[in-house]
This record gives sequence, C-alpha cells and structure tokens, in this order.
Amino acid sequence: MHPTGLAAAGSSGTTRQRKWPAKRRIPVGSQPGMADPHQLFDDTSSAQSRAYGTPRAPSGLGYPAASASPQAAFLADPVSNMAMAYGSSLAAQGKELVDKNMDRFFSVSKLKYYFAVDTMYVGRKLGLLVFPYLHQDWEVQYQQDTPVAPRFDINAPDLYIPAMAFITYVLVAGLALGTQDRFSPDLLGLQASSALAWLTLEVLVILLSLYLVTINTDLTTIDLVAFLGYKYVGMIGGVLMGLLFGKIGYYLVLGWCCLSIFVFMIRTLRLKILAEAAAEGVPVRGARNQLRMYLTMAVAAAQPLLMYWLTFHLVR
Amino acid sequence: MAFTLYSLLQAALLCVNAIAVLHEERFLKNIGWGTDQGIGGFGEEPGIKSQLMNLIRSVRTVMRVPLIIVNSIVIVLLLLFG
Repeated sequence: MHPTGLAAAGSSGTTRQRKWPAKRRIPVGSQPGMADPHQLFDDTSSAQSRAYGTPRAPSGLGYPAASASPQAAFLADPVSNMAMAYGSSLAAQGKELVDKNMDRFFSVSKLKYYFAVDTMYVGRKLGLLVFPYLHQDWEVQYQQDTPVAPRFDINAPDLYIPAMAFITYVLVAGLALGTQDRFSPDLLGLQASSALAWLTLEVLVILLSLYLVTINTDLTTIDLVAFLGYKYVGMIGGVLMGLLFGKIGYYLVLGWCCLSIFVFMIRTLRLKILAEAAAEGVPVRGARNQLRMYLTMAVAAAQPLLMYWLTFHLVR
Repeated sequence: MAFTLYSLLQAALLCVNAIAVLHEERFLKNIGWGTDQGIGGFGEEPGIKSQLMNLIRSVRTVMRVPLIIVNSIVIVLLLLFG
C-alpha cells in the first residue's frame, strides 16, 4: 500500500507527533514539557513554564508544589532552589520506578502500536465500520512477522477509535439525558462505568470461551478490546439520530449500524478465529470448525444486542 | 441500569468463591469431574470438559490464598461501609 511508509512501520514509537490522545487528561500546557523532559525542571527563564511544569510531577510531592510560585523573587532564594533540585530528583526517581514497574504489567510499546494512527486511517476505518459490504481484502498485512501499524493498513485494529468513541458515547449520553431533563453529573459516571463493565464482561466471556474450545489464535486481549470497542461508533450514530429525528431515526440508524457491525465482526473474526482453510471456504474437520463458527456468530450477534441495550434508555 | 464496575467485581469475587468451594473428594469425583479422571492422551485435543476440569483445578490451586485475603478485606469493608 504505502511502500515508503512500511520502512518506518517497525518503529512506530519514533514519531512523537501522535502521542497519547487527549483523553489521557494531561494538562495541555505540559505538552511541550513532554517532548523534552529536562525542560520541565531546568528552565528557570520563565516562571510560566515552571508553573505549568510542576503539576506534571508524577509523584505527588509537596516540594515542587511548595517552591513553584510565580514570583521570580521567591525562586531566586537558594533554599528554594535546593528544594527544587531535590524535588526534581525525587520526581525523576519516581518516574523511573513507575516506568520499570509498568513494563512488568503490560508493555507500553505494544500499546503504542495501537495508537499509531493518522487522520486518513481514522476516516477510512469509520467508513468501513458503517459500510463494510464492499471491502474485499480483510487480511492484516505483515512486515517481517509483525503486523503493520494501523496507519498503513486499514484492516489493523487500533485503540484510538474505540477510546474516542467511548468518551464520545458518554458525552452523547449526557447530552441525551440533558434534553430529557434527566441529567445529573453522577449519571455520566454511571453510564461510563456501565459501558466499561459490559465491555469487560464481554472480553472475559470471549476469552473464557476461546480457552474452553482450545482455539489457538493470535487474537490478543488488546485486539479483542479494540474489536469490541468499535460498536460505540454505531451507538453514537444511533443516539444522535434519535436526538435529531426521534425514535424513527434512532431505530433506522441503529438497525443499519447493527447490521454493519455484525458483518464487520464476522468478516474480521473469521480470519482470526477460524482456521485458515475454513477462511477460504473449505471445511476441514466438521465438528471443530462448526464450534468456531458458532463462536464467531455468537460474538458478532452479541454486538447488536449490546448496542441496543446500552442506548435504548437514552432515546425517548 | 445499575450495572457498574463495582458490581462486576462483586460478581467475579462471588464466582471465584463458588469455584473455590467445590470439594475435590466429596463432590467432583462423584460427578465424574475429578482431576484424575479426565486427562486424555497426548495426541487428541482436549475437549471442553477436560478444559473445564483443568480450569477448576487451576483456580482452586492458584486462588486459594489470595481469596482468603480478598475475602477478609471485603468482609471488613462491607461491615464498615455497608
């Protein structure tokens, strides 16, 4: 597809343009600080950057906060300079500790792969999610045994769209509740928690059934989360149409999106769960492939059900 | 719809507790789900039943001690905060 881009596909972490999406709640002013971590603590020229830099300290110490006052006279005090140096060294140690321990739980570089997207990919993927009927080739392209970054292959799963769609869903739910005078701030948290709980339950049930039927796939947990998060896009569309055009619009758009997600999931999971031979249409061993087919159908059929269940109470 | 993460955690804890109290000798053997009754040969892929039995045995072995701790914490918290 993009031969020049494939060369850089392996090191998706080198481009620092696409950092964590905005939902990660990093204060906007500290974005320049992220590109050069030393600048956070060594730049004494402007009190402005320091005032923005101090909330960035990962370990909630009192020292940086106490010594970071916008007044330059206070900062010239040698004692506060020492306190700043001490605080910065403690913060650096804390950051190292957090980084070291994070690697033990889940590898951050693998997570970066799922956020290596660009605008064109997002646009085309969203189009694919609502109209998957004409797309022919669903295989993920590989480059030397590692899957190509989502930026270069539309079939690759990503976590950017599910994350953004989830946040948007919570906001749209708040909007829908607000138009019906049913809004209160804790309801937002309840919606978010409920959607997350359903997602977690889905992932657990699918992982359990994959284990029980002993399917050997390369479908990782994060891949699964990505695929299951794509339904939020359809849900948002349905609720927005329901807000604009009432129940008719809601049912029409939701029905269309449900069908699209159903087809999308079947076509995507068929390549992952079913054996290669069956993916080309030739049944190998009846019983086992039948079980896999049932599992794929069940996963795909659960998507429309959940899409309806999570949105019908928002549209009156 | 009050299905929250917290209720999911509670349900998961209850399910794991339920798996942990299945007694090997008094119950599982009597319904043919004992761990020494199902291990098949090497060549054939394990069926669903033997996978389930493996899962139950693993859960009981691995989660025994952490369950004691987590259950104690949850009991204390529920007594204090209802």
